[in-house]
Amino acid sequence: MLKYLVKRVLWMIPLLIGISLISFFIMHLAPGDITNNEAAFNPKASEESRQKLRELYNLDKPVIVQYGLWLKRMGTLDFGNSFASHQKPVFWQTTDKDGNVTKGMIQEALPITLMINILGLIITLSLAIPLGIIAARKYTLWQDKSITLFNFIGFSIPGFWLSLLLMYWLGVMNNWLPISGLHSINYESLDTWAKIKDSISHLILPVIIPSVTGLAGITLFVKNGMLDVFHQDYITTARAKGLSEHKVVYTHALRNALLPLITIVGLSIPGLIGGSVIAETIFAIPGMGKLFFDSVLMRDFPVIMGILTIGSALTLIGNLLADLAYAWADPRVRRGVVRN
Amino acid sequence: MNKALFKKALSNPLAMVGFIIIVSVFVLAMLAPVISPYDPNDIDVKAILLAPSWQHWMGTDGLGRDVLSRMLHGGRISLLVGLVAVGIATAIGIVLGAISGYYRGWVDTLIMRLVDVMLSIPSFFLILAVIAFLTPSIWNIMIVIGLTSWMGVTRLVRAEFLSLSGREFVLASRTLGAKDARLIFTHLLPNSLTPIIVSAVLGVAGAVLMESGLSFLGLGVQAPQASWGNILTDGKEYIQFAWWLSLFPGLAILITVLGYNLLGEGLRDALDPRSNNK
Repeated sequence: MLKYLVKRVLWMIPLLIGISLISFFIMHLAPGDITNNEAAFNPKASEESRQKLRELYNLDKPVIVQYGLWLKRMGTLDFGNSFASHQKPVFWQTTDKDGNVTKGMIQEALPITLMINILGLIITLSLAIPLGIIAARKYTLWQDKSITLFNFIGFSIPGFWLSLLLMYWLGVMNNWLPISGLHSINYESLDTWAKIKDSISHLILPVIIPSVTGLAGITLFVKNGMLDVFHQDYITTARAKGLSEHKVVYTHALRNALLPLITIVGLSIPGLIGGSVIAETIFAIPGMGKLFFDSVLMRDFPVIMGILTIGSALTLIGNLLADLAYAWADPRVRRGVVRN
Repeated sequence: MNKALFKKALSNPLAMVGFIIIVSVFVLAMLAPVISPYDPNDIDVKAILLAPSWQHWMGTDGLGRDVLSRMLHGGRISLLVGLVAVGIATAIGIVLGAISGYYRGWVDTLIMRLVDVMLSIPSFFLILAVIAFLTPSIWNIMIVIGLTSWMGVTRLVRAEFLSLSGREFVLASRTLGAKDARLIFTHLLPNSLTPIIVSAVLGVAGAVLMESGLSFLGLGVQAPQASWGNILTDGKEYIQFAWWLSLFPGLAILITVLGYNLLGEGLRDALDPRSNNK
């Protein structure tokens, strides 16, 4: 297991270098240099702020030196300070000489995004697995057909449109749920119990909508996994032994069908992180997605580059965790018998 | 893909429904300048936020523009962006996948590592970051979506080439002295077309969703040019007073994307011999 872990972690190094190259390339996409670009979009950009940009990315130095310095920024996770938000540090808090702590922008936004996505993932899985099992057991019957129809719609519905409809129906028409932010305005004056209720009611829509759209893919995956497993010899053996159908499905088939799900959940991480841009923007949730969107609008380059890097790092970490979980769950992978 | 396969594909009810949806949407979009009841950009201050009626089937928006006319013209944009973006992605994917799967060795390793790197950057972040450094325009959107979604096709083409190059007919042709180009263009590529077409059709679905998402955020197709995504942006603005601004563009996106998904999955079912006996 340790050997596998070391190999797997070393494997991330070339990926990180690749990510640094691509992000460096993006920074140099703009015609001329990015200082011109910023000025073109933002008439208020002063000569001073251009100078800051040049200093931040060392634009006066040769390209190879610029890349080396960018690599150093990525390595030390020091992305400088935001242009737009009163010079707040992009990633992590800094302490000035008087001992005042300024929190980092990503530091504040990341936990919110992670919480929403993890809650969403739990809901998705707890619905998708039973639905997938039903679809596989009732294959080609009406249960399967309605789940398939639901899947097609889930694949095709724009999440932001579903958000608007639910916002209108639950928030505007019936006033059952709040439609923006994480807390009500009077949050501080509430007692503990009311605070919990307030937070939950704010989270319902932002958590449920991504899970509905993510549900289709995972349900289909569980269904196909179960169908494949049903054809295996050991299932025939289990049935021939006279085991109950319940036991065949839930102890023999399900465990094997769910194994690849670990990988799929790992692979869905970049989609979840990226998808948080639209969801958080609609519901005004101060997470990474909204921070990224706001930074794009204001061309706040240090924040954009910081979030791009942290988002990629999260994806790599997520994939690493998924692979480790797979190796833990499947002894064949752990002992190197089959490649994951 | 030959005629018999095409016939077989359309005998699949899912593919047929998808095909009909896509053709209808295309016809409506093509005819937009002819059948639109109003100019899509005509501002009418006396007709602001009117509910759907006989004069305005889908109502009017915050500037008094006719929503139906904007929907028809916006459809042209959404369909165009989807097709061009997927065209770019598929072209890159075929070239890289073919090189990777045919020549193997270090080129293959290099291309596959590039695919891994691209897949580990959240694509929506990547697209937004690129757009932040460029001017938002529909051409940039198409190029950026295309340049960030070729990885799946590359892996697919590579896998097809790897499995095909061991088959007898390829070995026979090689033994007879066929050059690389002949092997690739007359044997390997035509035999890989089916999965490429399926993935391209499904890819258009994704690209239409992506474009509408970007336009919804205001980073895609720019006003006053209409697109389904940016009509929805207005919808959000007026959600308390004008439900029609939110309902119709979303339905249009849903139906179009559903059409592509049905067509893609139907084609896969019809053309993949394995899926018939499951």
